[in-house]
Amino acid sequence: MSDKQTKAPPEVEVTDLTKSFAAVRALDQVSAKFRAGRMHALLGENGAGKSTLVKCLMGYYRTDAGKILVDGNEHAIEHPRAAHRLGLGMVYQHFTLVPRMTVAENFLLGRDSLPAVIDWVAQHALLDEFMARMPFKLDPRRLVGTLAAGEKQKLEILKQLYLGRRFLVLDEPTSVLTPAEADEVLGEMRRLVDAHELTVVLITHKLREVMQFAQDVTILRGGKVVAQTEVAACSEAGLATLMFGEALPLEKEGTATKGASRHDRAYLELEGLDVIGDRGTPAVVDVGFKVHAGEIVGIAGVSGNGQKELIEVLAGQREAQSGSVRVDGRPFRRRRRQLESKGVSLLTEEPLANAAVRSMTVMENLALRQFDRAPLSIGGIVLKRRALRPFARALIARYGIRAGSPSARLDTLSGGNVQRTVLARELARDVRLLIMQNPCFGLDAAAATDIRRQILRARDGGAAVLLVSEDLDEVLELSDRVLVMAGGCITYETPRANADRYEIGRHMTQGPARLSA
Amino acid sequence: MTGTFDLGWWGVALAIVAGAIRVSTPYLLVSLGETLTEKSGRVNLGLEGTLVLGAMSAFATCYLMGSPWLGMLAAGVAGAALGLLHAAICNLPRVNDIAVGIALFIFGIGLAFFLGKPFIEPRAAMLPSLPLGNWSDNPAIRSAFAISPVFFIGIALAVSLEWGLKNTRWGLVLRMAGESADATRAIGLSVDRIRTLATMAGGSLAGFGGGFLSLYYPGNWNEGLSSGQGLMAIALVIFARWSPLRCFYASLLFGGASAIGPAVQTVGITEGYYLFYAAPYVLTLGLLIYSSSRTRTLAGAPSELSISR
Amino acid sequence: MEDKPASGTVAAAGEPLAPYDNRTWLSGAAFPIDGLESLLLLLIAVGAAALLFGIFLAFYGHDPLAVYRTLYLGAFGTRFSLETTLTQAAPLLLTALCTLIPARVGLLVIGAEGAVVLGGIGAVLAGVALGSAPAVLGTVLTIAAGALAGGLWIGAAGALKHFRGVNETISTLLLNYIAIALLNHLVSGPIRDFSQTLKAQSWSIPQAFMIGNIPGWSVHSGLVIGLVVCLALHLLLRHTTIGFGMDVLGGNRRAAQMIGLPIGRLILLACFLGGAAAGLAGAIEIVAVHGAASESLVVGLGYTGILVAFLARQNALVVILVALLLGGISASGGLLQRRFDTPHAATTVLEGLIFLCVLASSAFAGRLLSRPRAS
Repeated sequence: MSDKQTKAPPEVEVTDLTKSFAAVRALDQVSAKFRAGRMHALLGENGAGKSTLVKCLMGYYRTDAGKILVDGNEHAIEHPRAAHRLGLGMVYQHFTLVPRMTVAENFLLGRDSLPAVIDWVAQHALLDEFMARMPFKLDPRRLVGTLAAGEKQKLEILKQLYLGRRFLVLDEPTSVLTPAEADEVLGEMRRLVDAHELTVVLITHKLREVMQFAQDVTILRGGKVVAQTEVAACSEAGLATLMFGEALPLEKEGTATKGASRHDRAYLELEGLDVIGDRGTPAVVDVGFKVHAGEIVGIAGVSGNGQKELIEVLAGQREAQSGSVRVDGRPFRRRRRQLESKGVSLLTEEPLANAAVRSMTVMENLALRQFDRAPLSIGGIVLKRRALRPFARALIARYGIRAGSPSARLDTLSGGNVQRTVLARELARDVRLLIMQNPCFGLDAAAATDIRRQILRARDGGAAVLLVSEDLDEVLELSDRVLVMAGGCITYETPRANADRYEIGRHMTQGPARLSA
Repeated sequence: MTGTFDLGWWGVALAIVAGAIRVSTPYLLVSLGETLTEKSGRVNLGLEGTLVLGAMSAFATCYLMGSPWLGMLAAGVAGAALGLLHAAICNLPRVNDIAVGIALFIFGIGLAFFLGKPFIEPRAAMLPSLPLGNWSDNPAIRSAFAISPVFFIGIALAVSLEWGLKNTRWGLVLRMAGESADATRAIGLSVDRIRTLATMAGGSLAGFGGGFLSLYYPGNWNEGLSSGQGLMAIALVIFARWSPLRCFYASLLFGGASAIGPAVQTVGITEGYYLFYAAPYVLTLGLLIYSSSRTRTLAGAPSELSISR
Repeated sequence: MEDKPASGTVAAAGEPLAPYDNRTWLSGAAFPIDGLESLLLLLIAVGAAALLFGIFLAFYGHDPLAVYRTLYLGAFGTRFSLETTLTQAAPLLLTALCTLIPARVGLLVIGAEGAVVLGGIGAVLAGVALGSAPAVLGTVLTIAAGALAGGLWIGAAGALKHFRGVNETISTLLLNYIAIALLNHLVSGPIRDFSQTLKAQSWSIPQAFMIGNIPGWSVHSGLVIGLVVCLALHLLLRHTTIGFGMDVLGGNRRAAQMIGLPIGRLILLACFLGGAAAGLAGAIEIVAVHGAASESLVVGLGYTGILVAFLARQNALVVILVALLLGGISASGGLLQRRFDTPHAATTVLEGLIFLCVLASSAFAGRLLSRPRAS
C-alpha cells in the first residue's frame, strides 16, 4: 500500500488513437488530454466509443494506431498489469468483488504480492488506518455479499486507492447509487482531486453530474471527439447539443407515417411495475404505460436504466415484484397458448443468449413459434420433421437469411443473420403485439432499414408495437409516441409530432426526480 | 465384542463411540480432501475409485515392503495420480467435471481390483493404534479406546486446514479460484493450476483414507472393502458446508450413525438396522432442501462449483 | 463483434461474461448426432481406449492383438457369447435412459441405481399383492408398478430441482443410497422370505408372472422390452412436440421461457420418464431373472447406464449400439479371465478408459471437421 505521494497524480494524453473491431471503427483518431489533478468527464451516447477508449488506456485492447502518453512519456500498454504499474486503475460498472469473502480479503487479493502467512492483526491495523484516511468508511470484517450496492461501489473505489492507483477511471459509478449517495461519492472524489491526490476520468451520461463535479469534459460521438472543453465554459443545453448532434428532420422519406389508426383500448398495458435487478437493487420502479393497436410506442433511454429488466419481464425471463401486465385486457401469463392467441412476438437483444438455441439448427430455430401447429405438427403432438425444411426455406428466402443450409447450426451464422432468423420467426405469423429491444444493433444499414420497414408494416397492419431502443435516432424515426426511461422510471412522454430532440435527450441524461433507495 | 454384555447399554454407547471414531477416520480424510477440491471450484465424484485404489496400493505396498507407513505413502501417491488425471481432463474445454468423476470412479475401482487380485488372501502388517484405554481392565474398553494415530492426524489436519483457508495466502487464493475464476485470472493467476493442485491434494487425502481402511480397520484387502465412503464424502462436504472443522464433526456423526446398527444389535435390537445407514443421507438431503431456493441453489457453496449452478 | 482483448484479462474487462456453463456438454450433445463428427470422435475415442488397454495388458506380457481377438470372441464370437452380451445389454438400454432423458432438459441425473432398486421393490410388492391375478395381467401390472416406483423416485428429484432449486446430481446421488438402505431394510425384515437361507431375499412373486426367454434364445424377453422402450422414447424425443420442447429447454432455458414452454412440466416429465425406464429395468430383473428382490439388484446397472448415456451422446438410438458394446465387454470378461488369467476387473478398466477417452474427446468437438462459416 502506498504512502502519501508528494508528487502530482498522473496526467494521461492520447493522440490519434484508432481502434476497429471487424468493420466497425470504434475509435477514430481520438485525441484527448486528461490533465493531472483534475476531474474529467467523458460523455457520449452508447456506441460513441467511451468504453473502448478507456479499455485501451487500461490495456484490455491493443490500439491499431495512435499513442498513449503518461506524464509525457509514451507507453505501449499491452496488458492491465502494465496499466496498473503506471498507476492507472478502473472501477467498473459490474463489480469485480468476491461476494463470499470479507472486505479485507478482497483488498488483499488485489495486491501483487502477499506473504505466505497472513498476519491478520497487522493487516487489519493497516486497513483500519487506511480507512481512517478515506472518505468512505467500511467495516473490513464484513462479507462483501452483505454490503448494499452503494457500499460495494464505494469498496471498488477504495480498492483502487488501496492499491495505489492515482489515475482512476470511473465507469458510470452512480448507476446503482441513490441521488444522495451519488452526490457523496462524486463529492469525495472531487475533494481528492482538488487535494491533488488523484486524476479522475468520469464516464457518465448524467449532465447534472458533469456540470456539478467535473472540471473538463470530452464528448465523443461515433468514435470521434466532437468537443473537448472546460465545464465552466458550457451549459447543460450546450452539452446536450454536442452529445446528440443536430436535430434530424422529423419528416423523412420512407417512414411512411400512415397516421396511426389507433384503437382506443390499449392492447398492452403495464401498471405499477416494480422489478429488482441482478444486483438486488430496484431496476424498474413503478412503470406504467399503454400501447394501442396500430401505434408504435418508443422508449428511449441510455443503456442500464431498466430497459433490460423490463423486457425480461415481458419475455417471461424475470419475475416482477409487483405490478401488472395486461394484453388485450387480460392478465399476461406468457404461456404458449396465450402468446399464440394474442399474437405476441418479441425480438430481444443478444438473440443467441435470450431468444434462440445456439446448438439447434436454423430450421429448428425458425420453428420455435410454430412447431406445435400445422403444418409442422399433427394435432399438436406429432412433430413433422420433414416439414421443417420447406418451412425454413420459405422464411430464409423471404427474410434474406444467409446460412449454409437450413440444417446448419445456428451458431455458425453471423450475428446479423442470427438476428434475421429470430426476426423471421417472430414476424412470420399473425402479429398483434410486437415487442422489440435494440432490433438493429450490430446490423449493417441495409438490414437495419429492412427491419425498420418490417416494423412499420406490422404497425400499419394493426399491430401494437413497443420499441425499446438505445438509438435515439431510431426511436424518433419510427415512433408515434416517445417515452423516456431513466433510472428505472418513465420520466417523460411526448407524441412524435412535436417532439423536441433536446428535451428528450435531457431527460435521458437525468435521473428521475426521486428514486426509492 | 466380549464383555459388552456385562456393560449392557453402556456397552452399546461404548461401541457407538468406538465405532464412530474408527469409521469416521476415512470419512474425515476423504471429506477434507474433497473440501479442498470443491473450495477450488471442482467436484470430484471419482473419490470412491481413488479411495479403493489407495486402499489397494497401501495394502500391496505394505505387504511387499513390510511397513504400513510406506503403504500409506503409496496410497497418497496413487490418490494424487488419479487427482491429477481428473484435473487434467477437466482442464480441457467443455468437459464436465461430474462426468469425469464418474469415469474415474469406474476406472479407479477397475484398476484397483485388477492390480489387487493377488493381495486378497494374504495378511499384511497393520497400522498401529495408540492404547488409550489401558487404564481399564475391561477388554471391551481397551479395544474401544485403541485409537489409531491417523485419527488424531485427521483432527490436526481439519484444524489446520480451517485455519489455513483464512490465514494463508494459498488459502485465500484457493477460495478465490472457487468463488470467481474471473477475479483470479484478473490478478494473473492460473485457475487451472490452482484447481489441479487442489484436486491432487484431495486425491491423496482420499488415498490415505483408503489406506486406513485396508491397513487398520477392517484391515484387509478385498473387493467389498468400501461401502461407498468415497461418494458419501460428497454428501458429507455439503452437510459440513465446506468447512474443514465441520467436516470433522460431520464425520463423527456419519460414522456414529453407521456404528449404531451393529452396536444395538448386541443388546438384541435388530429392527431398523439398515435405516441408520440411511440417516446421514436423509439428513444431508434435508439440509439441501432447506438451504436451497429457486433463485439460489446450495447456499454456502463455492460459486464456481458446477453443482451450485 | 469485439476482437479478443489482451490475454488473461477477458473477464476482468468489467463486462460480465456469459459464465462458462459446465452444462454446455449437455445441450451440445443432447441433439441427434451432429453429423459425421460425433460418430468419428466416438470411434477415435474408443480406439484410443482400446490402444491404451492393449498397452496396459502388454505390461503383463499379454499380446494385445490376442486380447482384442478374445474380446471379440467373448462378446460376439459364439452364440453363447452373443447371448451373454444381449443379457448384459438388456438392462443397460433402460438405465441409460435415466440419465439421457433428463439430460435433454439440461439436468444431470445419476440416480439410475436407486430407481432400479425402487423398481425392484415396487415389482415385488405388486407381484405379491396381485398373487391371484391372471398371468399376463399380473406380469404387466407388476412391471408397471416397478416403472411407476422408479418414475416417482426420480420425479421427486425433478420436483425438488424445479420448485426448490436443489441440485439434481446431488439429490439423485443421495437418493441412490437411501434406496439401497431401504432395500436392505425391507429385505432383511418386513418383506423377507425366511425360508431362503442362502441370502437375505424378499418374498417371491408368483411363478406365473415371470417372463420367459425369447423363443430360440437363452436371453430373457426383457431385452425386447428394452429395445421397444428405447425406440419409443426415441420417437417421443425426436418426433413429438414434447420432445422438441425438451430440446429447446435443454438448449436455452431463456428461449424456452420466451416462447412460453411449460418448463416445470417438462422437467417433471423428463425425470419421471427417466426414472420409470430405470424402474422398468429393476422390475425386469425381478420378473425375468430373480423372482425376488435382494442385494443382487445393486450390481452397478445404474452407474454403467450413466456411462452408456454419455457414450451415446444422449441419443436414444445410439444407446442401443453402445449398450451392446458395453454388454459385449462385460460378457467377454469371463473369457478373458480364462484365457489370460486376468482378473475380472479387466473389463472395468477398459470401460473406465473408454469413458475417460470419450470425455476428453469432447474437447475436440467442433474442431475436428472444419465448418464453413456462413457470412
